[in-house]
Amino acid sequence: MTEQTAIIHDIGYRHYEGPRLGRGSAALALAVHSLRGVFGLGRTTRSKIIPFLLVAIMLLPVVVSIAVMALLKQSAMGYPSYAVTMQAVLAIFLAAQSPYLVAPDLRFRVLPLYLSRPVTVLDYVGAKLAAMTVALFLLLAVPLTVLYAGELLVDLPGPPHTRDYIASMVCALLAAVLLASIGLALASFTPRRGLGVASVIAFYLFTSAVSAVFFGVLLSVGRDAAAKWALLVNPFFLIDSVQVALFGTEPSNGEGYPAGPWPALILVAVIALALTGLIMRYRKAASS
Amino acid sequence: MTILATEGLTKRFPRVTALDRLTVTAGTGVTGLVGANGAGKSTLIKILLGLLPPTSGRAEVLGMDAATHGAEIRRVVGYMPEHECLPPDVSATEFVVHMAQMSGLPRTAARERAADILRHVGLHEERYRPIGGYSTGMRQRVKLAQALVHDPRLVFLDEPTNGLDPQGRDDMLALIRRIGTEFGISVLVTSHLLGELERVCDHVIVIDGGALLRSSAIGEFTQATQAIAVEVEEGLEPLAARLAELGEAVAVQGRVLTVQVRSEDTFDAVRDAVCDLDLNLVRLEQRRGRIEDVFREPAA
Repeated sequence: MTEQTAIIHDIGYRHYEGPRLGRGSAALALAVHSLRGVFGLGRTTRSKIIPFLLVAIMLLPVVVSIAVMALLKQSAMGYPSYAVTMQAVLAIFLAAQSPYLVAPDLRFRVLPLYLSRPVTVLDYVGAKLAAMTVALFLLLAVPLTVLYAGELLVDLPGPPHTRDYIASMVCALLAAVLLASIGLALASFTPRRGLGVASVIAFYLFTSAVSAVFFGVLLSVGRDAAAKWALLVNPFFLIDSVQVALFGTEPSNGEGYPAGPWPALILVAVIALALTGLIMRYRKAASS
Repeated sequence: MTILATEGLTKRFPRVTALDRLTVTAGTGVTGLVGANGAGKSTLIKILLGLLPPTSGRAEVLGMDAATHGAEIRRVVGYMPEHECLPPDVSATEFVVHMAQMSGLPRTAARERAADILRHVGLHEERYRPIGGYSTGMRQRVKLAQALVHDPRLVFLDEPTNGLDPQGRDDMLALIRRIGTEFGISVLVTSHLLGELERVCDHVIVIDGGALLRSSAIGEFTQATQAIAVEVEEGLEPLAARLAELGEAVAVQGRVLTVQVRSEDTFDAVRDAVCDLDLNLVRLEQRRGRIEDVFREPAA
């Protein structure tokens, strides 16, 4: 006869005696949760398709470029022009994924649950913004870094383009902040995800069309200086103009941008405007 | 021990006064907050959570001022809102783990607590499926689980039985009772149905139009409403008339006469009236008082 060694007890309700972390770690948890969500991690397979497809498209020119470097021993694509070249892909990513971060919480009214916890409205907005910024930065920084690693491995004649690489990485961060704040601000105004996608993509199409039309018209009437200002309406050219001003890289549009500190100031002003709109939107949503 | 207290609490919105000089206290255990829709129940909860500043007056939760210590209160208090608040595309487990982290629990602890609490509220295998496919009863359980996952000292449940079928309602009420007793978490539960709350509450607060109507222990409610049901073969009307003459509060409900018990004399009066009128008494029983009766107008 064997002795009974294990018994299952119904231990009932147990209280939690462990640590309770502060607002900061709650906000960090929200940011990580949101960042995973942007790439569809921890969600259905269907929601992974679009983000990873776009990541693959972003990597495509890099792969081609490395192949060209390896086979023809000449550099193919420059770092500074990468963001401008891939602007349509970035815009689609922003339009497709930024509504995911904000719309469901408004539509399914999860926001009151967040606010019934120690986090504040500003923590919430900050976490969402950080998640989108990091996602966009990764989308730009990973291909750029792969390209740089490729360049170092292929070992082209002449020194590596380290300065260009650093310039493009800094501007990738600026672009991520700018695009994330614009995308979230636009998407947060509607609880409907589809409308959010449409409004972000409409914003991109509108700004790029306006900047192209004005640039063309002003150039044809001989007002070259004004034409260069018109380019800055497109957020991607705005970032490029800041890159030119900060690092003296080649302008990606071939024409150049207005000189001086103005592009940088406009960039800061646009980010501030978008953030103000975003915060005001959530102040209102929180009080209702 | 007092878990929450308000003093002259007033909240005015541009067009309505939601709370009007409300002064109440509640102790540990299960407290019911009763009022019609629009009586100010949800507004009171938002003020107690420190999410809405009061126009005037004070509110204290677990000894902390709601207007200045909102974040500290929200760390140790749970909240289950009245409205739908669940994202459809994540599983209950994932959602509750996330909400535990949002209350400051480290990730491993959040996982353990979420598994524990989902079992306590009665969600089993289905907790791994997306919430979008859940029934109303299951959704209410998830809402309750997210309010309890961080082991709060006090939990606010706003209309937890809304939309549930009778069985679901009973289960939810039994669960609320367990939270207050077995779990040792104080509960403030709102409802517009008085009858529901008397089954689970130790104390009931009734508000109407943002003002206090009544606040007392559940025993006092049912005591005040002691009534007896009298049934006779024929001659219910003469009996009712005789008792009314003697100053008793009587109401005819179908074939049964309900008599409010004022004192011991009421029983004698009923006995004497039945004898005097020479009626055949079929039934004489004590009716269990219900909170509703306090507010119900006696039938004319």
